[in-house]
Amino acid sequence: MKNLYIFIAVLFIPWSFSLAKYDEFEDGDDIMEYDDNDFAEFEDVSEDTVTESPQRIITTEDDEEEATVELEGQDENQEDFDDADTQEGDTESEPYDDEEFEGYEEKPDASHSKNKDPITIVNVVSVTFPQVPAHLQNSWESYYMEILMVTGLLAYIMNYIIGKNKNNRLAHAWFNTHRELLESNFALVGDDGTNKEATSTGKLNQENEHIYNLWCSGRVCCEGMLIQLKFLKRQDLLNVLARMMRPASDQVQIKVTMNDEDMDTYVFAVGTRKALVRLQKEMQDLSEFCSDKPKSGAKYGLPDSLAILSEMGEVTEGMMDAKMIHFLTHYADKIDSVQFSDQFSGPKLMQEEGQLTKLPETKKTLLFTFNVPGSGNTSPKDMESLLPLMSMVIYSIDKAKKFRLNREGKQKADKNRARVEENFLKLTHVQRQEAAQSRREEKKRAEKERIMNEEDPEKQRRLEEAALRREQKKLEKKQMKMKQIKVKAM
Amino acid sequence: MADPRRPGKVARYKPPATETNPALEDPTPDYMNLLGMVFSMCGLMLKLKWCAWIAVYCSFISFANSRSSEDTKQMMSSFMLSISAVVMSYLQ
Repeated sequence: MKNLYIFIAVLFIPWSFSLAKYDEFEDGDDIMEYDDNDFAEFEDVSEDTVTESPQRIITTEDDEEEATVELEGQDENQEDFDDADTQEGDTESEPYDDEEFEGYEEKPDASHSKNKDPITIVNVVSVTFPQVPAHLQNSWESYYMEILMVTGLLAYIMNYIIGKNKNNRLAHAWFNTHRELLESNFALVGDDGTNKEATSTGKLNQENEHIYNLWCSGRVCCEGMLIQLKFLKRQDLLNVLARMMRPASDQVQIKVTMNDEDMDTYVFAVGTRKALVRLQKEMQDLSEFCSDKPKSGAKYGLPDSLAILSEMGEVTEGMMDAKMIHFLTHYADKIDSVQFSDQFSGPKLMQEEGQLTKLPETKKTLLFTFNVPGSGNTSPKDMESLLPLMSMVIYSIDKAKKFRLNREGKQKADKNRARVEENFLKLTHVQRQEAAQSRREEKKRAEKERIMNEEDPEKQRRLEEAALRREQKKLEKKQMKMKQIKVKAM
Repeated sequence: MADPRRPGKVARYKPPATETNPALEDPTPDYMNLLGMVFSMCGLMLKLKWCAWIAVYCSFISFANSRSSEDTKQMMSSFMLSISAVVMSYLQ
């Protein structure tokens, strides 16, 4: 009998061990039903909720069996143990301590004997880490786009501040260098147009983070001079990157508006060939009056890089005096273009066919465009090298006043201007005719309405007769004109 | 050399009229403003994070290129729109 029990116990050990992994196993209860005394120790205590099963009823079997089979240290089962049990358990608890199973509350296995490694229980309750989707992870890698964007923004802001400050420093360096010369030549240096009185502000007007203006006025010969410091867009990172591909340089643009009586009628330009070709296409006056290609200035001793666009040879002869040639030769690398024009109206306006009815307004102007040396990498010291160019501007103003065309030249110039005007009128002839026609129709309609609105029938009749007579007269006049033309043709 | 200055002949500064010369104006800030608004609307409607970020960039570029005479309200409004686009695309 004893041997049979041992055999069955041995059989039950692996069976209940395998079943210990499954919560659903409920045979523990069944075992209980069989025989409380014989198989009490083989009960499966895998169920937490099954509290009857872990009842350790120590049978009267041999102590050895109890020692091998009895499972000590199940936490929730401790309460169910009788005092007798615990006493028994204490004495036989060598391989399995209560503390070993702390935390393993799910499946303490009754059948775990000395053959089974307690660590195997861990496998039952092992926690596997499922794959957490990337967007739920809390690591830096999942935010790489955001980090990139924010870094880019910070870089842009830093570049904005640095670029803005650099442009500011360059502008003030330029102004400090030129202030003395300007103040000795102009009564008003610096005006933003907002003050009630015309007082010198002595400051640059900041139009932009890269454009600074200065208006000077109050001098003989000229109405005023507008200086524009057109720096590169150092505050815009995109522009900075674009400039790495295509180098460009800061520019100083000076526009002198001359008084009508202080300049004769001519159009003349000198500058780099590339700039002149561009200006000839863009500028209204250069395209109309200087139809020839830019000529080389070698005849006058100018370097090859410079070319001349002129209305007539006499103007070139007059302009190219010794001092001017000296200026142009020495500072050729800084000069982009110089334009003297009495018909200056700015760049060609892109207008639709039917809109141009009037010639654009012209002003006598001297235009200078200088390139700041350094080709983008300018420092405030480079501004000093532009001072001689300002002297050239002042000299040009005086020269423009002094230079007068001779009789022949004047005639030629007048002819040119008349020709341009005629061309313009021809182009707009159709539009002007249409405009006149519509005006005449308007007049007729207004008169008819007046007649209709007249209440007095007598007056109405009289007005109608008057209108008829007028129309008849017009017809007669036209007929006379036609006859005259026919006679002339014959 | 005689003093060339003539205080009596002073003329006031008149800002050049940009309406008559549209070619002289730099169109960059206007384009960038428009682009920024388009991208931020895309980012909001289609819930695309990268659209919202590009909108922020566009409004920054528009601000950097703007003229000082321009209205700051429009700049601020496009900036706020792009920021809200970024925030909304992350909240969803």
